[in-house]
Amino acid sequence: MGALIPPFIPKKLFYLSLALGGLLSIAISVLVGVFVIKAWWGTPFEVFGWAGPPEQPIAFPHTTHVKIDGINCAFCHRGVLSGDAATLPAVEQCLFCHQTIQGQNAPPEIAKLINYFNEGQPINWEKVHRLPDHVQFAHEPHVRFLTETRGLNIEAACSTCHGNVRDMVEVEQVRRLKMGDCVDCHRNNLDATENKDITDCTACHY
Amino acid sequence: MKLAGLSTVGAVACNIFPDREFQEQSPLRIPEDMVTGVDNWYATTARGGIETEGLVIRVMEGRAKKVEGNPLFPTNQGAHSMRSEALLQELYHPDRIPSPMRRVGARGSGQWEPITWDDALNTLRDRLSGVSNRNQMLMVTNSMRGSMANLAQSFAQAYGGRSAALDLMHETVAAQVVRDLFGQDRMPVFDIRNSEYVLSFGADFLATWGSPIQFSKGYGHFRQGEGRSRGTLVHVDPRFSLTAANADQWVPIRPGHEGRLALSIAHVIISEGLGSAAAVNAMTGGNRNVLEAYAPERISHELNIPLIHGKSPVDMIKEIAHDLASHGPRSIAIGGGSAGAHTNGYFNLAAIYALNFLVGSVGQQGGVILNPPAPTPEFGAFLNPTTVRDWQGIRNDIAGGAVRLVMVRGADPVHSLAALDFAGAINRDDVFVVSFATVPNDTSHMADLILPERAALEDWGSDVPNIGPGFQVVGIQQPVVNPLPEYDPMGFGDVLLRMAAELGIANKAPLNHVTFADVLKDHARGLQALNRGSVRNASFDAFWNRLLQQGGWWDEGSRGAAPPAAPRLADIVAMARDAVISGPTGGNTFNLLAFPHISLTDGRGANLPWLQSTPDPITSVAWTTWVELNTDTADLLDLKEGDYVNIEGPNGRSFTARVYHHPAAPKDMISVPMGQGHRNAGQYAAGRGANVLEILGLPVEERTGALAWSSTRVRLTPAGRNDSIPKFEGIVPAFQLSEHEAIVKVTNEG
Repeated sequence: MGALIPPFIPKKLFYLSLALGGLLSIAISVLVGVFVIKAWWGTPFEVFGWAGPPEQPIAFPHTTHVKIDGINCAFCHRGVLSGDAATLPAVEQCLFCHQTIQGQNAPPEIAKLINYFNEGQPINWEKVHRLPDHVQFAHEPHVRFLTETRGLNIEAACSTCHGNVRDMVEVEQVRRLKMGDCVDCHRNNLDATENKDITDCTACHY
Repeated sequence: MKLAGLSTVGAVACNIFPDREFQEQSPLRIPEDMVTGVDNWYATTARGGIETEGLVIRVMEGRAKKVEGNPLFPTNQGAHSMRSEALLQELYHPDRIPSPMRRVGARGSGQWEPITWDDALNTLRDRLSGVSNRNQMLMVTNSMRGSMANLAQSFAQAYGGRSAALDLMHETVAAQVVRDLFGQDRMPVFDIRNSEYVLSFGADFLATWGSPIQFSKGYGHFRQGEGRSRGTLVHVDPRFSLTAANADQWVPIRPGHEGRLALSIAHVIISEGLGSAAAVNAMTGGNRNVLEAYAPERISHELNIPLIHGKSPVDMIKEIAHDLASHGPRSIAIGGGSAGAHTNGYFNLAAIYALNFLVGSVGQQGGVILNPPAPTPEFGAFLNPTTVRDWQGIRNDIAGGAVRLVMVRGADPVHSLAALDFAGAINRDDVFVVSFATVPNDTSHMADLILPERAALEDWGSDVPNIGPGFQVVGIQQPVVNPLPEYDPMGFGDVLLRMAAELGIANKAPLNHVTFADVLKDHARGLQALNRGSVRNASFDAFWNRLLQQGGWWDEGSRGAAPPAAPRLADIVAMARDAVISGPTGGNTFNLLAFPHISLTDGRGANLPWLQSTPDPITSVAWTTWVELNTDTADLLDLKEGDYVNIEGPNGRSFTARVYHHPAAPKDMISVPMGQGHRNAGQYAAGRGANVLEILGLPVEERTGALAWSSTRVRLTPAGRNDSIPKFEGIVPAFQLSEHEAIVKVTNEG
């Protein structure tokens, strides 16, 4: 080993830098490992652009529309009581109000919306809640259960998984929505008669 | 700082996944009945080149996803063919014509400029009103039926122009024989389901003949139905077709001699006192020797029937006659396909169909059941296919300048009538060709104006199946999806109506309607007024909804007429002719049998990849044209599988295709499927295979003028190249595993 040390570096310095380098590598590996494990089992740390709300083509604030204007979730996300996907409202629906409401807070954003409609272009929103391709999730049974059987109002039902959307200026995913999350919720909050233990894999993987 | 990492934005920035993977699109307008993730099924009908099938189409979020058979539709009863399955590919075809096109370069150069519909329709109207003589307009269509036929016929008549229908798959000869022997304009249905013995001559009814899905459903019950004994199928055909492969007994026969075999069988029945005594009396007129010249001992040596299981041809004929008669009236003799596609095809089929009268199976369950006419004349409209003989006349008229405007829809005469050089005929400066097409074809490539047409699943229509189930049926076709936003097609019916209005010839029905859907509704009122059948309602809206929901209307109570008097055998004997097979003579010449391809039929399916990739049921070859050559003959000519050969026809033209070693092909015959050899019909059809129709020389059946596609002799010469032939079967020849299990048993050497 001694033969490998370049002759012009003092021995002590060499070993010290080796030790420091080793510690640094371990530290970086631990950090990377922690990041990966947190992202894998939950939601990533909100650094370097991971997690957090994606940038949308139009800066739509739920705060204005839900908290201030009091619009019901299902008014826009109409598919939530009838199908698998909650669906996004048609551009035509936004214009119900915005053909007259030009907005005080962000007229350029509303101008973008009107332009989309006039050009006949649908809006390509960046998906916030994305499940992997091998998972199929149906909104309708869940929302119907929470509202009819558990008696929650629509907003409370939606917030179970989507968090406090009424306070989000930009929507982000706040719940980890991994399989453990789904299974835990079923096991902890349902009775045996209510699909507590889902033993059929094809319930969600088909 | 946004590093490439686990965030979606980062991944997109890395271009690992395309942007759209992480996006969700909000639609522009609020959808009416669309629920994401939930499917709707819409009933419609489609005629994939052979016979109409009732279908239900699965539609999700405005996109058609799957074709299935309509279980309610009486002919196909829930089953459907691959030709219907591939209708999805027509809808979303990458080569689909997006907008009207006007030719800008030389004809056939493929240079087009997109124009607006207003521009296109004005051009068409100007051309229609600009001819000096209305007779100079020629409308070429498929052999349409139902409401579209009614409209097209009315337009041609009101305008004063000519119309011609092109359909090489049509059984013109059989239809004429049926007209003369059974007194009907419709083909009867063969009740295979309840039959005990089926003797078919040349009619590949399990593959492409008549109403294959309906017959196949019946065939399943024929073989394995509960509460009945297994039926027997004997198939007489020079070629080993799918029906031959399924038969209990395949009887190879010399091409063109099917009629003589049928009369020989008839002679045995008569001389041995079999069959229906009354019928025998009526048909022989008391003279039991009327078919003496056709006794098996006299003619069997001319039929080229080999020894089968040690049985001589004479014994074979007698056995067939005994079986056919003993199972009567539940025995059926079917004739068509290659048996009718000879110069003496009419004689062949007349002799074959006469057998049914002899055994008393006409109008009987398990026999030949006559179909009733259509419930209303509008639904019964039919554009009879123009015979090849008449096409020659039309072609000469075009080439001679008597036709100035040609409108083509649903047909590809440049491909189908290549032997007539239709392309050459229309290649004149004073001929204006308008092509209505969804996807490009060889004819649209030569057009001056292309008008994109709605695909089958996007359009309205109606059809009465030619081979009905024995009672009245009307199939309704409705759009199951709208065309994708990037396409702007217009239905053929709608264009005709618009032209009629602008030309001032729209004063009576059906031309006085605005859209073709209105025409169909008008015709449906006729059905409603009958107040019988599967859909009945006093309110038209309710009637119409139910009609669309079910995919059609049928009335099991309205059956066919009583069977007519039996034909006289002496008349049939009087029309006996020899088959004339014309073409090059000498060494290496073979009788060519150009048969319809199972999925491409006569070529209309060639641009759909699912149909191209469907393997032929016997050879398992896909995607190309092949030449079925007897294995021993191929060895004699030193031709391996995949060797290219030149096939030269009587008109001096030739094509090149690859050899397929076929152990069951007759030694002096080659079979080549139709359907390929398009030049410009889209990326899946263009430049693929060879067009066998081009070299046929167009022999015609003497009485009807129909195409006699079994009557050509060709010369075969090796072309020198080899390419492995695309097929699904393995390349290792079958070998015997044990001495007790023979894989291929040769029943007849030589």
